[in-house]
Amino acid sequence: MTDNAVTHQQVIAAAASPAPTVAGTGQRRASASGTPFTRALGIATIIAMAVLLLFGLFLSPADVVQGESVRILYIHVGTVWVAYVAFGMTAISSAAFLWKRTTSLTWDRIAGASAEVGVLFMALTLFAGALWGRLAWGKFWVWDARVTTTAFLFISYIGYLAVRGLGGSHQQRGRRSAVVALLAVLEIPLVHFSVKLWRGLHQDSSVADTTHVKLHDLMLFSLFLALVAFTLLYAWLVIHRQRVMAMQDALDDKGLDYALQQRRREGDL
Amino acid sequence: MDDIGFILATYIATFAGSVLLATYYLRRARRLAAQLPPEDKPWI
Repeated sequence: MTDNAVTHQQVIAAAASPAPTVAGTGQRRASASGTPFTRALGIATIIAMAVLLLFGLFLSPADVVQGESVRILYIHVGTVWVAYVAFGMTAISSAAFLWKRTTSLTWDRIAGASAEVGVLFMALTLFAGALWGRLAWGKFWVWDARVTTTAFLFISYIGYLAVRGLGGSHQQRGRRSAVVALLAVLEIPLVHFSVKLWRGLHQDSSVADTTHVKLHDLMLFSLFLALVAFTLLYAWLVIHRQRVMAMQDALDDKGLDYALQQRRREGDL
Repeated sequence: MDDIGFILATYIATFAGSVLLATYYLRRARRLAAQLPPEDKPWI
């Protein structure tokens, strides 16, 4: 693997040295996985989230039918959008990993990082949906087609993360989990079209249906803002998680060599 | 506004969950980076 171009002595020297510091100040560096780009992305995410908070909670109007509970939907729609994007990215990265010309572990790490973030956002989608359902339907949970298939999708990706945690080499982990990812992503069309395939409580898309539903401009803007803010957050989280995974993999590869070198050094003393 | 508790719970859970995950990633990155040479961190 080309990632392992350092000597054992360098690894030992780095492991023995203190945590990275800002030159001349003795202070620890703010982030070990950050770059100017991710810092700019982080600031953009914080600003977008703050504006979403402002519009979602205060500036957008209450709905004629749903009342104030419509404010939950800005979170619900934003988080489920990111979960779909995350699982889609997991599938694309997994396919790239399995394809012979691009079988780099970076693809596997992007797939894993994206799935992990997607699972968090899917959990938040289910939580927000349960609270909204209690207000709109009188129940936290109903065995509606959309709700049930979404829960099934959530459990499938928890399974995907469990498969990633199984033993074996990084290449084995990548191949095994890529196959699971390519199977799990087939559930997304089922979840999305479940409201059309089966009669249920969950509403169909409100934004696309312009003949029956007319959204207030501020509501539409708040929804759009939620999509942008959560997409920025997703990008920031996946970049950092992927880098953490890369460092963990590098450490796994060199951990045994490092331990052996350390034992030899102890023996020389 | 009877729904305020549910609305706030949704926003707090979402923002707190995101911040906790981001913090976890940064702390883990810092811990791992201290054990590796710069060659293993090409983005720096």
